[in-house]
Amino acid sequence: MATDIQISIVGSAGDGTIAAGEILRGALAGMGYKVISFDVYPPEIRGFGKCIARMRITTEQAYSLKHKSDVLVSLDDSHAIPHADEVRECGAVIYERGSIVQLPEGGHMSAHIGPGQLPYPVPIRELSEKSTGANRSRNIVVLGFLAGLLKLPAEAFQKAIAKKFKRKAAAAEAGEAAFRAGQDFAAQTFKLDDVLFGPPVSTVVAGATVEMISGNAAIVRGALDAGIDTFFGYPITPATSIMERLATEMPKRGGRLLQTEDEIAAISAVVGAGFAGARAATSTSGPGLSLMAEMLGMGVIGEVPSVVFVSQRGGPSTGMPTKTEQSDLHMAVYGGHGDAPRIVIAPTNVDGCYRCGGKAFEMAEAYQTPVIVLIDLYLSNRYETVVFPSRPPFEADTNRKPGKLAAGAQYKRFALTADHISPRAIPGEKGNMHVVTGLEHNELGRPNDSAEMHEAMSRKRHEKLKAALRHPDFTHFKRFGDEGPVDVGVISWGSTFGECLEAMIKARGEGIRCAAMKVVMLSPFPTHGVTAFMTDCKQVLVPELNYQGQFANLLQANVARPVTRLNRVSGEPMKVEDILDEIRRLAGRKAAQKAA
Amino acid sequence: MATAKNVRHHVVIGSGVAGSQAAETLRECEPDARVTILTLSSLLFYNRYDLPKVFRGHRDWREFLAYPAEYYRERRIGMRRCSRVAGVDAKRRAILLDHKEEIRFDTLLVASGGRGYVPEELSEFRPLMHPFSSYTEAMVAANEVPDRGHVIMLGGDMIGLDLARTLLDTRHRVTLVAGPQTFWPHEVGADERPGLVAALEKMGIEVVEGADAGGIASIEKGARGLSSRRVLFKDGTELYGDVVMPFFGLVPSVEFMLGSGVDIERGLLVNPALRTTNEGIYAAGDVCQIWSDAERRYRFYYGWKNVRAMGDLAARNIAGGADPWVPAQDETLHVTADGNIQSPFWEYE
Repeated sequence: MATDIQISIVGSAGDGTIAAGEILRGALAGMGYKVISFDVYPPEIRGFGKCIARMRITTEQAYSLKHKSDVLVSLDDSHAIPHADEVRECGAVIYERGSIVQLPEGGHMSAHIGPGQLPYPVPIRELSEKSTGANRSRNIVVLGFLAGLLKLPAEAFQKAIAKKFKRKAAAAEAGEAAFRAGQDFAAQTFKLDDVLFGPPVSTVVAGATVEMISGNAAIVRGALDAGIDTFFGYPITPATSIMERLATEMPKRGGRLLQTEDEIAAISAVVGAGFAGARAATSTSGPGLSLMAEMLGMGVIGEVPSVVFVSQRGGPSTGMPTKTEQSDLHMAVYGGHGDAPRIVIAPTNVDGCYRCGGKAFEMAEAYQTPVIVLIDLYLSNRYETVVFPSRPPFEADTNRKPGKLAAGAQYKRFALTADHISPRAIPGEKGNMHVVTGLEHNELGRPNDSAEMHEAMSRKRHEKLKAALRHPDFTHFKRFGDEGPVDVGVISWGSTFGECLEAMIKARGEGIRCAAMKVVMLSPFPTHGVTAFMTDCKQVLVPELNYQGQFANLLQANVARPVTRLNRVSGEPMKVEDILDEIRRLAGRKAAQKAA
Repeated sequence: MATAKNVRHHVVIGSGVAGSQAAETLRECEPDARVTILTLSSLLFYNRYDLPKVFRGHRDWREFLAYPAEYYRERRIGMRRCSRVAGVDAKRRAILLDHKEEIRFDTLLVASGGRGYVPEELSEFRPLMHPFSSYTEAMVAANEVPDRGHVIMLGGDMIGLDLARTLLDTRHRVTLVAGPQTFWPHEVGADERPGLVAALEKMGIEVVEGADAGGIASIEKGARGLSSRRVLFKDGTELYGDVVMPFFGLVPSVEFMLGSGVDIERGLLVNPALRTTNEGIYAAGDVCQIWSDAERRYRFYYGWKNVRAMGDLAARNIAGGADPWVPAQDETLHVTADGNIQSPFWEYE
């Protein structure tokens, strides 16, 4: 039996909602299920805002969260009530049976459970207090109840609880007791719902390892596997955990990490380290990227390898720090003054984060330019089960080294070559002394603002990036779904592509000829491949999480074809249903056919 | 007014036959009113008379629902499941739910029905018995009884005897420990009883007469390898079975109405228009005792047809009617020409 179950846990900051989600997905991933998970949390530290831990558990590969959950767990009705209608028919709603305060009419979850949904009132607080002496373990009580209700093995949860509280013996003990209390209560509860788990299916090849990992953690893993040795950064949501993880890991590998005073210092140091031959990177979000624009230009003109991981959030300005958005694409591709081309790659899932996290260093070095890896909060905080290969798929050194110079010849750091990539010497190498400056320069690196030189160097900086479109072992773009001519083609990028893929699969299930393309390489743009795809499509749909249609703009700047834009700026991931509705509309499906 | 301006809020406590019928009629009579059902059940309205089907292999709760979820959505009937009423404040027109939520109403219909009665002397053995008054209880019992298993039925009201018919039909063994509640709610004279008991035996029920509830010394878990329950009688005899099921009739579920200001005897006392002693509160079904001018007493009326008619009448009167109660079904227990028992309380649509 194939498993495809989505569970949402909703509570208030301080309820342990996110921790419960972490334990649950850890347990399920440990059992061998595929898990996609995305947490939503408030900008406040504690006490007010809504937290949601949402995860989809499958045996077959899934690409996004579902529109409807199979199970909703409420740790705080005031936050969970608005999500009651997100539970499917015959789905389960688990909630606190009692209340310690007087409630107005409608203040309890039971008032909002639809006639098609199944209510499971649980004395969560009471069970926590009885089993642990405090109400702090309510989140673990509901995990025990879930495990009992869904007939999941306790051992996997116990392991995940022990791992979560490995440095807090008392909390681990309380967690164990609370879990048992919830599980025992479930044993006395009559099970009505049809949320059923089939056995997990293992598709892991020998030697590979499977891990439940977030987008940011995958970026870190990719960077480490690619040999990052220097990192400078300044914390900012939702990119902070990249620096935090690297701060733990890099010293173990002899690397260097410094928290700088701001983002300008961070990118400046990264460009400096790149110049010095390091595999160097920084991480930031939209506001930080704005600050880095000037020094990215320095990296471009100085042809310095440098990597910037950017996790987008709602903007502009401080915007919505804990909400997702894809609105920094223009900034990433075009941001800054002058003709400053750079490589921008955008993974579409957590596995892609790993690959892009490592490949960015290969590209930065191979094409001697800044590389921006563009993700967003949805992808940063999304957890997926990822299969890691036994050997990292990254080249440790892609630098084009200078050969031996002929007698009397002078090393030209910016030599004009056939493929526009110059041999790059690392400062300190004997005989290869050179100058790098922010001024326009000649092949030696010395300032030169003649018309001829500026034209030659501008051409060099742009043309050399074309080689990145052929960068080996990298998916620049990929088509899915029907081959040949289709009625609707969906093109998207970044985290939204998962939803596009799900929508496309559903549309095909409804008999619509449909295909989807993900574009990972955003700059330079893979015009040829995308044009070929669009030629096959009667209609082209471009869903993305920004108001302007930034990717659609980029697309139309490169491929002169009309597209239909689907833009959302809710701060939430795109809904599969919204994309599917649009596909149906474009395919000329009437509402009646849709309903059928 | 407790609710939105000019919109009356009718609350029905209970989602059984009476409550569900009342909600439907209220919606028809007052299309704009707010109608809310409060029920302890986790399921939408299902027909209790269908429960014996669990022994015929029908286990999915969906098969028991009288109406799909869409029915409630289309009729805008609010369905508050798993909601236990803690008390009713008739003066303030407010219901307090167990979880401390207060619900205001303009009119209230109490249709909370009855729960299975167990004599005091047997109450300590409740954990070892398998009641059969809800879907959950029916499923638990059905899961406990093996194929061709042995059911010991205590009391033997007409709900139990209806189940016994199914059990026999599905090749189970049924032993009835008969007592004063046998044939409840039919009032059976001493002269009629032997003939009725003989009819039960003819159906295939093994009847242990005389060992009434007071005659049971204890109920125990059976020994390993034997049946799972043992009933010990005071005379030293014993019975082994797979489950022990109590069928001693129903007691009205009225605890939450204590202190509400509404008159209660065993059930809620209502006039022939099914109104309680409070003008905004009505009652229908197994929970109420209706004044009978003919009999000069308050009395219960049982059976699916009666209960449904009560729900309908109460709703119409809430909506402004003033019709009196007229029983909707015969209450006579028959023995057919071929010697089988036939009860009007087994009839439902």
